Amino acid sequence: MPLIRPFGLPEFWIILMAAQWTIALSAIAFAGGGLGGLLTALARVSDSRWLRGLSTGFIRLFQGTPLLMQLFLVFFGMNILGLAINPWVAAAVALTLHASAFLGEIWRGCIEAVPSGQREAATALGLRYVNRMRYVVLPQASRIAVAPTVGFLVQLIKGTSLAAIIGFTELTRQGQIINNATFSPFAVFGSVAVIYFMLCWPLSVLARRMEFRFSRSAVR
Amino acid sequence: MTDVTAGAAAADMRGSPDLAVRMEGVNKWYGAFHALKNIELSVQRGERIVICGPSGSGKSTLIRCINQLETIRDGRIVVDGYDLTGSKKNVDLVRQETGMVFQQFNLFPHMTVLENCTLAPMKVRGVSRAEAETTARKYLERVRIPEQADKYPAQLSGGQQQRVAIARALCMNPKIMLFDEPTSALDPEMVKEVLDTMIDLASEGMTMLCVTHEMGFARQVADRVIFMDRGEILEMGTPDAFFGNPQNERLKTFLGQIS
Repeated sequence: MPLIRPFGLPEFWIILMAAQWTIALSAIAFAGGGLGGLLTALARVSDSRWLRGLSTGFIRLFQGTPLLMQLFLVFFGMNILGLAINPWVAAAVALTLHASAFLGEIWRGCIEAVPSGQREAATALGLRYVNRMRYVVLPQASRIAVAPTVGFLVQLIKGTSLAAIIGFTELTRQGQIINNATFSPFAVFGSVAVIYFMLCWPLSVLARRMEFRFSRSAVR
Repeated sequence: MTDVTAGAAAADMRGSPDLAVRMEGVNKWYGAFHALKNIELSVQRGERIVICGPSGSGKSTLIRCINQLETIRDGRIVVDGYDLTGSKKNVDLVRQETGMVFQQFNLFPHMTVLENCTLAPMKVRGVSRAEAETTARKYLERVRIPEQADKYPAQLSGGQQQRVAIARALCMNPKIMLFDEPTSALDPEMVKEVLDTMIDLASEGMTMLCVTHEMGFARQVADRVIFMDRGEILEMGTPDAFFGNPQNERLKTFLGQIS
């Protein structure tokens, strides 16, 4: 096998297959971040000063530092804690925390956008916190949340490319590997970019559609 | 003004059983603003009270204290025998027994009229869906909009929405109804349909506290009318005395302005 091979269909196929790791990492971060984000958002609007302070600090920390540093800190932090270095786990943990903070802040805004009269009416009917949130506040907040949440998912998918730097072989890292073998950077990274675009673009369209639909149903 | 025998009643837990609401020395502050000043008020079961006064006088705050949508700094509130001071359990119980109707209706926009009416009975009282729906349809019939059960609030007029709000509160089978300016957000032609519903309710013996500017309604249904200004109860009496022979100077000015 020659040292430098041409960039052809098999090489493109290898890159395309790596997209599954990008999707898997995004899905894990989004699912984990969805749960973490919900808890963070609820803590941000809770009556407890202690919970509010803690969640605010968590959000500020992750909003105020680059995603790459978050990945580094989790990756190297695991080493300090005596855990085996594993790019997969490090990337999943870092991106989950990152998504929790950002979704927490997005959803806090959506919860607060529900008029206070809704909470008052539910309270006056005798509904307690969990039922008030579950049946009255969150269903209304979630309609507002759909578009910005899908928008953040697009950011998250693109953000997974940074996991390449800690050695996790997803779409970007596979592109680097193929580029090292083919020395066709424009074709290689052009292909990588197109694959990212094909992942993100439909989501952007979906977000816009849903925004339109919910803004209409709000008027009804 | 004090019609409360506080000393004797203060000791017992469920208080005097024939009082629907008792407020003793209630003070409420918003920061530096003294919103309620030493409120003393007793409401008998079945009594209809109308509270009026200029905006910012504390009348809404007063009735919102009864179901603890507002917390108070000091004083004591006993509703249906349950002391609200420092007892979360009693607050929950009182909220279940107290219906409230808001100026802005506050119907849940993502639920149908029927779902608005069945949510609390099902989730708070644990009533089955079938039973909750039967009750809801009964009360929707009573506020004369049974045919709107499957519509969403935004499809109804303001007057219809407010009647749904009344039905929704009644579905919890409350002992006391609180009305916080129920007709203030309505177009003039819809005020009457809501007032008629409230008059029906009053004629059935419901204990009612209404904050309203509808003086005709006050004359017609109130047992007592209360005038509040700057966080104080300044005058309280039967409609005849209240409108016919007001004592307080600020009340005289107020009545002169609104009539």
